[in-house]
Amino acid sequence: MRMTRQCLVAFAAASLAACNLDLRNPNSPTEGEVTTSADATIGLATGLQGRFSQSYGNFAYMAGLVNDEFASTTAALISISDAEQGSVPPGTGIAENVFNSIYRTVRTANELLAGSDALAAQFDAGTRSGLRALAFTLKAESLGEALQSYQKIPIKTFGEIAPAYLTRAEALAYVRALLDSAAAEIAATPPSALFNSSILTPGVNLPNVIHLFRARYARMGGDDAAAITASNLVTRSGPTAMSVLTFPAPGVNFYANVTGGTNGINPRRQWRLSMTGGDQRFTWFVVPSSTVTGRVGALLDPWNRYASPQSPLPVYFPDEALLIKAEALANTNQLAQSQAVLDSVRTDCTGNRGIDDPKACLAPLVGALTQAQLIDEIYRNRRYELLGTGLRWEDSRRRNLIRGPVAAPAVPADGQRCWLPYAIGDRNANPNVPADPAEPTTFPTGCTY
Amino acid sequence: MTLSFVRRRALLFALAIISPLPLAAQQPTGTVSGRVTDASVGRGLPDVQILVTGTRIGAVTGPNGEYTLVGVPVGPRTLTVRRIGYQPTTQPVTVALGSTTTADIALNVTAVNLSEVVVTGTGIATEKRKVGTNIATVDSAVISRAEAVTVDQAMQGKIPGAQITQNSGSPGGGGISVRLRGVNSFISGSDPLYIVDGVIVDNESGQLADLGTRANPQNRLADLNPSDIEHIEIIRGAAAAALYGSRANNGVVQIFTKRGSIGKPRFTSTTRWSTSQLREQQPFNFYPFDVNGLPVTRFNYQNDIFHRAPSWEQNLTIEGGNDQTRYFISGNFANEDGIMRSTSSRRSGARINLQQQLSPKLVANVTSNYITTNNQLQAFGEQNDYGIMGSLFFAPTNVDFRPVNGIYPLPPALGTNPLLAIARIRNPQTIERFIGSTKFSWTPLTNLLVDYTIGLDNVGFEQRQFVPRNAVLGTAPLVTGRSQSVFENNRVINQDGVTSYTWGARGALDLRTTGGFNYTSQRVRITQASANGLAPVGELVSAGSVFSAAQTDVELRTLGFYGQQEVAFRDRLFLTGAVRYDASSTFAPSERWQAFPKFSASYVALDGRPGALNSLRLRSAVGWAGSQPGILNAYSQFISYTQLPFAGRPGFVNDVTFGNPNLKNERAREWELGADVGFLNGRVSTEATYYNRVVSDLLFFRPLPTSTGFSRQFYPIGTMSNKGIELMLRTTNLDAPNVQWTSTMTYAHNKNLVDTLTILDFQSAGGYPNRIRAGEPAGVFYGSYAARNCATGELLTDSLGRYRRSNQTADMGNAAQRIAISGGNCNDSLNKVIGDPNPKWMGSFLNELTIAKKLRLRALLDGVFGNKIMNLSTRAQNAGIASNSKTYERELLPYGDPRKLPPTWNSRTQGIFEYWIEDGTFVKLRELSASYTLNTLGVRRYFADGIDLTLSGRNLAVWTRYSGYDPEINLFGTNAGGLQSVQTTAADRGFDFGGYPIPRVWSLSARVSF
Repeated sequence: MRMTRQCLVAFAAASLAACNLDLRNPNSPTEGEVTTSADATIGLATGLQGRFSQSYGNFAYMAGLVNDEFASTTAALISISDAEQGSVPPGTGIAENVFNSIYRTVRTANELLAGSDALAAQFDAGTRSGLRALAFTLKAESLGEALQSYQKIPIKTFGEIAPAYLTRAEALAYVRALLDSAAAEIAATPPSALFNSSILTPGVNLPNVIHLFRARYARMGGDDAAAITASNLVTRSGPTAMSVLTFPAPGVNFYANVTGGTNGINPRRQWRLSMTGGDQRFTWFVVPSSTVTGRVGALLDPWNRYASPQSPLPVYFPDEALLIKAEALANTNQLAQSQAVLDSVRTDCTGNRGIDDPKACLAPLVGALTQAQLIDEIYRNRRYELLGTGLRWEDSRRRNLIRGPVAAPAVPADGQRCWLPYAIGDRNANPNVPADPAEPTTFPTGCTY
Repeated sequence: MTLSFVRRRALLFALAIISPLPLAAQQPTGTVSGRVTDASVGRGLPDVQILVTGTRIGAVTGPNGEYTLVGVPVGPRTLTVRRIGYQPTTQPVTVALGSTTTADIALNVTAVNLSEVVVTGTGIATEKRKVGTNIATVDSAVISRAEAVTVDQAMQGKIPGAQITQNSGSPGGGGISVRLRGVNSFISGSDPLYIVDGVIVDNESGQLADLGTRANPQNRLADLNPSDIEHIEIIRGAAAAALYGSRANNGVVQIFTKRGSIGKPRFTSTTRWSTSQLREQQPFNFYPFDVNGLPVTRFNYQNDIFHRAPSWEQNLTIEGGNDQTRYFISGNFANEDGIMRSTSSRRSGARINLQQQLSPKLVANVTSNYITTNNQLQAFGEQNDYGIMGSLFFAPTNVDFRPVNGIYPLPPALGTNPLLAIARIRNPQTIERFIGSTKFSWTPLTNLLVDYTIGLDNVGFEQRQFVPRNAVLGTAPLVTGRSQSVFENNRVINQDGVTSYTWGARGALDLRTTGGFNYTSQRVRITQASANGLAPVGELVSAGSVFSAAQTDVELRTLGFYGQQEVAFRDRLFLTGAVRYDASSTFAPSERWQAFPKFSASYVALDGRPGALNSLRLRSAVGWAGSQPGILNAYSQFISYTQLPFAGRPGFVNDVTFGNPNLKNERAREWELGADVGFLNGRVSTEATYYNRVVSDLLFFRPLPTSTGFSRQFYPIGTMSNKGIELMLRTTNLDAPNVQWTSTMTYAHNKNLVDTLTILDFQSAGGYPNRIRAGEPAGVFYGSYAARNCATGELLTDSLGRYRRSNQTADMGNAAQRIAISGGNCNDSLNKVIGDPNPKWMGSFLNELTIAKKLRLRALLDGVFGNKIMNLSTRAQNAGIASNSKTYERELLPYGDPRKLPPTWNSRTQGIFEYWIEDGTFVKLRELSASYTLNTLGVRRYFADGIDLTLSGRNLAVWTRYSGYDPEINLFGTNAGGLQSVQTTAADRGFDFGGYPIPRVWSLSARVSF
């Protein structure tokens, strides 16, 4: 009896001693574990690039929808076929996704910057500069995509409870400064071999990406001199001239993702049909079709290479640098030089520069074009060269070609919205979110900035 | 019958056969006889049941109240004496070898049983008269007479204040949710804490593969065999449940299984045969012409999807024992086919309960229950890729789904071919479960009791899914086929210790002090493997070509201590004060410990007095209880990162749900006030309770600015209250020598209100109209509505006779035109509150008639009143891609037909959610049965107690205005509380979207003992 009693007491005591209430979460690392480890910070760099591929994808396909690039084949998500007609009510998934995913990318970039400072001693200088340049670059491009989608945007969001919204001019200056910081970082200390081989996504050349983005936002800011300088720094031939995001299985490139299932995104056929005869660039992007039709009557061509889930996606098209340069030259009245640069894009044909990008294979322009003609031709080429990058939206805005929402089944021309409504996800918790801007109801009233 | 199946059954019966038969050796016996009388008038009472406690020896008194018990084991025994209209009582006797002991017993008039002993919420066994709250009990007779498949089904309609809803008609119970006194939490679901023989058991209902994201085919309480159950105690809220601390906000249901009884081994075998069928078909569009007036053939797929389904259940129990040892052994096999073809549920289980006296002061109780459940289910609810109900509702009726050369045609727009799903899609589940407990009761002194219990509930759950290639519409990856295998192990261990000291009389006072602890650890581990790109042959994951895997491991621990002091004054006034001090691993150390006090008072003003008023007890209690995030959110205090691999490399990003290190329990404060009254010479008894509960620090996600890279955080977001009354009335309508007729009525009214909300109102079920709004009941439907004349309330129609959507330019013009048409501003909003899914009241009415002690008739009506249902099943039928409803048929009629509806009439109603709100009031004939005891001499030669034959029916009739299959089915039901990718809360009710209809069931059962 006493034995039994003693056993019982001992057993109860032993089992109660096991009841430690401080449990560790084995499913996901905590802030403390991630921010104190150099290896985990490197994991943040991979996460940053993963998030960038999502936010860039969200921006690019949404921008193509509210312009004249894409339409949807399915009825499953009405909001998508509404968006192709320019109707994007607040709270709609695509409007929310663009904003939320961009600021998640920004968050991770900020954490990477904070980590590279806090753990500076644990990184060699080249790795640290690579990490910082990567963070500056992707943060800048993400904010740049935000300012191409929303009239005002927050730029200071790290550690803020209610981020303030700034005007486009302020935000653009900030984006350009970030890209200059990135350039300065790698100029001062070239990224280490570890960074280039094991941290940076294979297929991406960071200096080229930085300079291309600098040229892009210099053009957007009307800084022609800086645009020319930066675009000259972008490699135009050889294996490093293309920077691509890769999607080894089970990864899926985002166009393959939104083509299937409930989204049904496909390029509009008029994009191909409006090309100059002989222009071959469509072959890179689409498979010509005479049958595919969107839900609200748009005629469509299915994707060519993006249809494969594992197909890589360019971070930018190298000819964008040439087109930026041509535009800056035309703006500064260097018309002959501009026309020559433009011709180098038009005449780009198979194998010329050893890179796999869209090739027009057109003849050079005949005769000297006026400045206005040149600008027109540059924008025509941007349309065919840069399909699916989202850049057409800003081009439409720049050229005052936003028409406001148009009801189906009219085939849209150029852009149909100036801006997206601000994210409900931010509005619900941030008193600083401005009122949604009004969309133009007459053409051509243009957008207010 | 497969080999493994045979083997499993053989194992069960082997378990049943290694019974401790030698323990029931021949014992010396004596005889007890005497007379039972009415205490007030001294008249002898007939039809009184007398039972020797702990044995099966019993007798019924004759016309003058005399009885004789033979074969009673010698020694001190206790007689339990019961009769309707009288207070049950116990009487000790000492039985001598071979002689007759006389025991005369007097019974007090009353229909209120205040001497019943309960343990739930009281720490230690306590008479009901001493408890300041209402504790409901359901005993084994009530459970067995319900002829239900699961325990929770058997409780339907028996407990005032409990909304017990069968959310689907899927075999194996059909996903039952229990909601006690309204919605009390948005994070912890509505489930009360379930305890079986001291073991905290899991009642998970989440499915491991997509069977309809929020569909609820089964909840795990279905693993318990109802016929093993001795009785159930239910406490409904914080006032009673404070001793369960941070998990008791939703109440506690404690289940006790049978213990066995002293005597020779007795074998009882129960066999039940049932047949289930669809109660009634839904109307579809069978108009033989299409939209262009051309003839078309239409099909009624309900004939192919549903069938009359047989079920069979076999129970075998053996019980017996002596003064030292008692045992109860059972084996059970239930085989139920669903009314939807290709669905079934098979449950086998074995149980051994053993009680052993280790020494005069130490008793051990061991229970062990092994269950294996095998289900074959089909997706329904909102699963529209391969779900059968979704496919039925979304498919036009003019598609011929019959296979051609073995190829099943797919529908034009949405869903799959239901015949293909039935023939080829497989969702098998295997549940292997062990529930066991060991309890030691030690009485070192006569007034000191120490109990220690350790319990284990271990559920191994495998869910497989096989969707063959080309079985669904759409594109990769599902169209390439999918095979999944998901293993979950869900293990709950709990330890309870309680010690109680009775101080003995101090003048007019009696004191008892109780203290105890509880430690619970739950761990859930899930491993998932899935494959797409399946080979043409082969159903397992290994038949695939593109693989993915995932793993989850979560643990939640709770530790609590409590102390309780009871004071009794002259055995009339009983006061109790207690506090529980609780900690959970979900919360950071700084917030972890919380105290949950309670106080209760019970005053027995009258007891057992003859005449018009026989007994009167007044009671009141106040208590606090909590609820914490469920196990899937057990790590919400941490700011954490999630994996985001990219380009084949591992990566991290911040979790968009921001951790909250200050997280703490939701806290409910409840007080209740009630009376138990017996009157009219024991013919009528009533229990009435008023309660008032306020839950503060309600946890939910508050939005964070998404510009910060986060989107939400668990946070206290408001307060909610439930106020209501519960009534129970029992009457003896007829008490003649050979006819007894009794009735039980229950009534419950609950008023739920979200009192305050510190965040914007939100959809409680992500993507659905149920909404949490301050100043409204939780889960009200909020959505678009049809414009009405602001003065008269008449619906406004357009020139075609269609409804107008309130604030749509296409329907109402610009603002000025809208106001002109409406005659005011009543149509200015896009959305408004359009219905409340919470019932105004619930009630039940049970009648039992016993004729000549042989024939027993029983009918239970169970009703829910004043609730609204959103009928999205019919909305799906009316959608353009389906156009298979009766109202769509009316669009097709030729002009001139008075029933003709204008074209696009139905597409207009798609956008008016108010149109889909229906009155959900219903009364169900829940149970109807006739039992006959065949006990002629010839029968008794073989079966001592005769043969009980029962013909019974469940859900035979439903009286309702609701137009769908069944007003009880609900899309969300049991999944409430899931806050993962698919958000659902306990507030989400009244939502019919592709539900599995609840069948009408007829059963015949035979029960014999020998």
